[in-house]
Amino acid sequence: MECVVGLNVIGSKEKVRNCIDACGTPLLTSSVTSTVDITMMIPLLILTLVSLLCSSLAFDLKGRVVWNEICPGIGDLGQAKVVLDNGNLYGSVTRNGQFVIPEVPSGTYILSVVAHDHAFERLRIDVLDTDTLPEVRPYVPGTPLSPPSPVTLPYPITLIPRARYDYYTPQESFNLVGMFQNPMMLLMLGTGVLMLAMPYIMKNMDPEVLQEFKERQAKITDIQSSIQNGDLKTGLSAMMGGEEKTSPAPAPKPQASAARNRGKNKRR
Amino acid sequence: MLTIVRFLWASFAIWTAYALHPSEAGVVDWHKALLGVPLTRPDFHRTTGAHGATRSVVLTATSNNVIGAVHPENGTVAWRYLFEDRDPVVGYKAYNDRLATLSGPGGATFRILDVNSGHLLHELHLHSADSGRLFEPVNLGVAIAFDDSDKSKDTFVLTNGHTLRRINGKSGDIVWGWTSPDQTSLVVYSKVVTTSDAIYLIGLAKSFASYTVHVSAISPDNGELLSDADVPSSIINGPQGLIVVSHEGTRGKSVRLAWLEQARIHSVALTPQLKDKPTIKKGSAYLQVHDIGLQEKGLFVATKEDGSGRVIRFSEDGALKVFWEFADSVKSPKYTESTYAGGLDKDGWPYIARVYWSHVFRQASAHVLAPHLAEGKGLVTGFTFPFETQKHGIIANVAVDAANPEEFRVLSRLVLTTTTGAVQLWQQDQHQWTREESLADIRVAEMVELPEPQLVASQVGIEETESFGARLRRQLADAQDFPQYAINFAKRFATGSYASASSSIAPASNDTSPLSRDTFGFRKIIVAATSHGKVFGIDSANGEIIWSRVFGLGWAAEVGGRIFPLKIFTTRTVSDGDTPQVVIVGQRKADNSLVDTVAFHIDALTGEDVSGTSIGQDILQGQDVIAGALVEAYLFQDGPTKYVVLLDEYLQVHLFPDTPENADSFHKVAPSIHLPLRTGTAGSHRLGGHKVSPEKEFTGRHIAYPIWTASLPPNEDVRSIVTRPHEPVASLGKVLGNRTTLYKYLNPGVVVVLTSTSTPSGPATSCGVYVIDGTKGTILYHANLPAAGGVCDVKAAFTENWLVYHYYDDGSANADQAKSYRMVSLEFYEGSGVDDKTSSSDLSAYSNDTTRISVYEQSYVFPRGISTITTTSTKFGITVKDILVAGNNHQVQSFPRRFLDPRRPNRKPTAEEQEEWLIQYDPLLPDDPKRVLSHRYQVARIRKIITSPALLESTSLVFGYGVDLFFTRVAPSKTFDVLNENFNKAQLVLTVAGLALAIVITKPMVRRKRLRERWYAS
Repeated sequence: MECVVGLNVIGSKEKVRNCIDACGTPLLTSSVTSTVDITMMIPLLILTLVSLLCSSLAFDLKGRVVWNEICPGIGDLGQAKVVLDNGNLYGSVTRNGQFVIPEVPSGTYILSVVAHDHAFERLRIDVLDTDTLPEVRPYVPGTPLSPPSPVTLPYPITLIPRARYDYYTPQESFNLVGMFQNPMMLLMLGTGVLMLAMPYIMKNMDPEVLQEFKERQAKITDIQSSIQNGDLKTGLSAMMGGEEKTSPAPAPKPQASAARNRGKNKRR
Repeated sequence: MLTIVRFLWASFAIWTAYALHPSEAGVVDWHKALLGVPLTRPDFHRTTGAHGATRSVVLTATSNNVIGAVHPENGTVAWRYLFEDRDPVVGYKAYNDRLATLSGPGGATFRILDVNSGHLLHELHLHSADSGRLFEPVNLGVAIAFDDSDKSKDTFVLTNGHTLRRINGKSGDIVWGWTSPDQTSLVVYSKVVTTSDAIYLIGLAKSFASYTVHVSAISPDNGELLSDADVPSSIINGPQGLIVVSHEGTRGKSVRLAWLEQARIHSVALTPQLKDKPTIKKGSAYLQVHDIGLQEKGLFVATKEDGSGRVIRFSEDGALKVFWEFADSVKSPKYTESTYAGGLDKDGWPYIARVYWSHVFRQASAHVLAPHLAEGKGLVTGFTFPFETQKHGIIANVAVDAANPEEFRVLSRLVLTTTTGAVQLWQQDQHQWTREESLADIRVAEMVELPEPQLVASQVGIEETESFGARLRRQLADAQDFPQYAINFAKRFATGSYASASSSIAPASNDTSPLSRDTFGFRKIIVAATSHGKVFGIDSANGEIIWSRVFGLGWAAEVGGRIFPLKIFTTRTVSDGDTPQVVIVGQRKADNSLVDTVAFHIDALTGEDVSGTSIGQDILQGQDVIAGALVEAYLFQDGPTKYVVLLDEYLQVHLFPDTPENADSFHKVAPSIHLPLRTGTAGSHRLGGHKVSPEKEFTGRHIAYPIWTASLPPNEDVRSIVTRPHEPVASLGKVLGNRTTLYKYLNPGVVVVLTSTSTPSGPATSCGVYVIDGTKGTILYHANLPAAGGVCDVKAAFTENWLVYHYYDDGSANADQAKSYRMVSLEFYEGSGVDDKTSSSDLSAYSNDTTRISVYEQSYVFPRGISTITTTSTKFGITVKDILVAGNNHQVQSFPRRFLDPRRPNRKPTAEEQEEWLIQYDPLLPDDPKRVLSHRYQVARIRKIITSPALLESTSLVFGYGVDLFFTRVAPSKTFDVLNENFNKAQLVLTVAGLALAIVITKPMVRRKRLRERWYAS
């Protein structure tokens, strides 16, 4: 019906073009063939138009992809298309970045770019029933469509390549520093250093301070044991206990020598 | 402590992420870019560069709806442009540096591409797809002509059979349009010819019993109709017989329209006033006229009633004259009918090639006529070339390109397309390259394991007989190599390179050893059957074709027909102890409309016929299994024997191979078989459960009888049934963080059913996903999904107790809902909750417990549309399964199971949940480019992905096919069962050596110390 209006009144040029594109050819005929034919055919034309084609206003969405350093041209972008919703309506990106999505009925759409190597933002497009231009808004995937974002973007649509997909991870090479940066490794190293350094620290400590420290240590181990399993604690306390009495160490020696003697006896 | 755990966990999460290293790209994977089988004759197109250098490409439009260009030097793809499925190419034409295309019904969309790069220059929508007129054939009613009068690069486009537009070459806008005033009449235009004075539209008007030629002359400047005339004529066989020849003379371009009427060539001169009367060419009677693409040079070929071909030229005086008659082109049983083609050399001189196959010499012959040589009398150069007809079928189309380096010498190259979808280039009698384009139309494919390499054992068995001296001599001779071996061993031990999971497994190019698998079983053979009557054996290591066979048509060879492969089964694997075998079940549609089901039994390693009915490497003969259509086919395994069970339309059971042992084996298991089947006609498919009769019926066959039908609404059409792949299940349950267990619901009879609900003959209104117990028809799960755009496009993958499906939600159900692609992940567990075990995998089908299940479900927003979905598969099923999808942006991407776990909590995960590696629910699935398996490859339109286990438990082999072929391997949990690539063996050896040294040094020290301690102790 809008096209019929266009035929009679001739609205904006844009609209007539849209109608010509949308309705195919008959209107074109009117503009180029002789007027005699037209007068005879107008009723027929209107009938065909109304019945066949322009049941609702369809709009040609236009826009362009702006080439930037991420995507300098069509050679880089490859064959790409701009789609509405699930791709039933689409337009291809041409060499100068332009695209036209033809005959978009009024409604709300999500516009996205299907490209192999580049990421683009998504847009929400509202094509209105009235003569006004469509509304373009940014859209974040996964968010509800209403309420619409208060930010509107200019029409025609401009799309900017946001990122180039990076498909590869660099080869992990053996790296000593990297190995020690691993938290597991750091923890292990820390305990190792502590284990080695503890006797010396203890030895150099003032007996009173040492006593105090021991009490505190006992408290901490108590708390720790309530959190974690006992392995570490027993190990630690055993270690510390062992270091405490350095002098009565030779106790196991006879055993060792006995074992040794036994071994020797056996060999004989 | 908690923070540390979290930190560790986070670092693990990074560690487990799989991604490709740049060095692995192209080593662990390969990609074959294809165009598809050419629909029409390909064209050589030559462009002249800035410095007068010419380059040529072979242009072709294919059955995969692709227009592509191939480099004639090496057969690689120069570029290709993929058209959408609902936008089929109906016409294309190249001129200088641009290529114009028309696509969609009636030529709805017009595009201009750069002929050298394939870049889109302009896209113009001419009419809506609904108002497009459909013609048969599709290229009727559309035509493209370039304005060659000046440099404007304007294009004249005829669409819908009655609309002509002039399109500006620079801006891509419409300059003017003209529509036939009487669209209601029966005139359909099909050709456009441009001259500087007028544009001629030539069409046919339907009259009683025949067509009349109708010509309209239109002003090129403003699109006004100059004149309009019916040419008195009567054409019977449509617009193919219309030929427009033009001649660039001193007085400008003169054009003549010729057609065949009552075995005589009629012609009429085209002038803006259209005043000329048709003339009849006297002389011989003709059977056919051929457009050989040289109409602009005033040449075409007509065949006489005896079959001999004549070149007819539009001479300068405005008459059509016989220029040449090809010798020995009369119909004969010794050779086939000739194919004619025309081409131009780089100076624009025309050449005409005639190609035929000689039954006597078993070779193809080509005669190339150069009309301008020998002082304008014409020169024919002939050669024969060894075309392999048993490998490539019959020559379908020919394109020719020629050069004339010196007088009386013509060098030509021919591009042949064959009935099996091969495209070949022959330079004279030298074969240059072959592209197997039928691989763009693979119907079924299977990866088959290769046998282990054969070790040579030369002296086995002679040891008992040889004398002592001889043995000593032999052993000494063997020991000669020992030092070398010892050095090698030491070297290997110290630095040693082991087989690595990310190294290439492709054999060296000069490798002649028989096919064998590699250390980890990454190398398999892909048996792929295409709908162009050819089956291929493809090496999964590098994508090379190892063998190929052409399907024989059986009795239908006399009437012609096609074979559509439906199923492929591996009936014998390497582990069964012999060479692997596959059975391909196909439907043969003969040209007399009879349909049969045929089975081909092939050795997977060589492509040889196992049944032995075919002779040598000749055409592969199949066995007619069912005289009628196939309903379903299954592979049955009974101990070591495997056979194929086929059901015909009457649900009778057929076996292949039909041996008494197989019949006995089937008879034994028959009573316990339950089959959910999709039956019915298009649009009203039903789902029903069937049992097989325990005894043979009077027809001598078992028969399947229905026991239940799914209680779906009558307007709900069963689109497809998704079954679980036969894979081992490693664990029967999932241990949770609190040490309770969820037992997986593994009822073997469960199937997933995808449906669409539609109003009668209307678009679909909603889609359905059902999970049904196939033994008794109980619906276990049901979801109603929106049908976006009236089409149900739900994709589902089902493995173990895990179902994933993908669809587009158009937000119609709820105004607030976002429009997006969704992926829903579901898990089925036994009983009502944790620790409720019903042993679903072993339950009787009649137990009530089979329906006692709990379902976990979560929905995610998916980044894009997909064409297929599948899961990875590994040898023992221990490795986590990833989801593999082929996206609409021509990528194959994996989505980790961890993100698709339906038990992801809606809040911060607790410590117990963290122990299970659960992460907080986020509706958005991350689109990680590092998980794009196809990385920079443009893997066009993958239709199906198949996965197959390697010998390594961690790794799964992935093969995707559609237009392109793509193969890679994935390790969803990283390659945990092989040493890391970066494992530094030298360092390990050095450390061990260093420690050994330290022991050697410190041992005496310690001993001395001990001794001293003993002396001086206390």
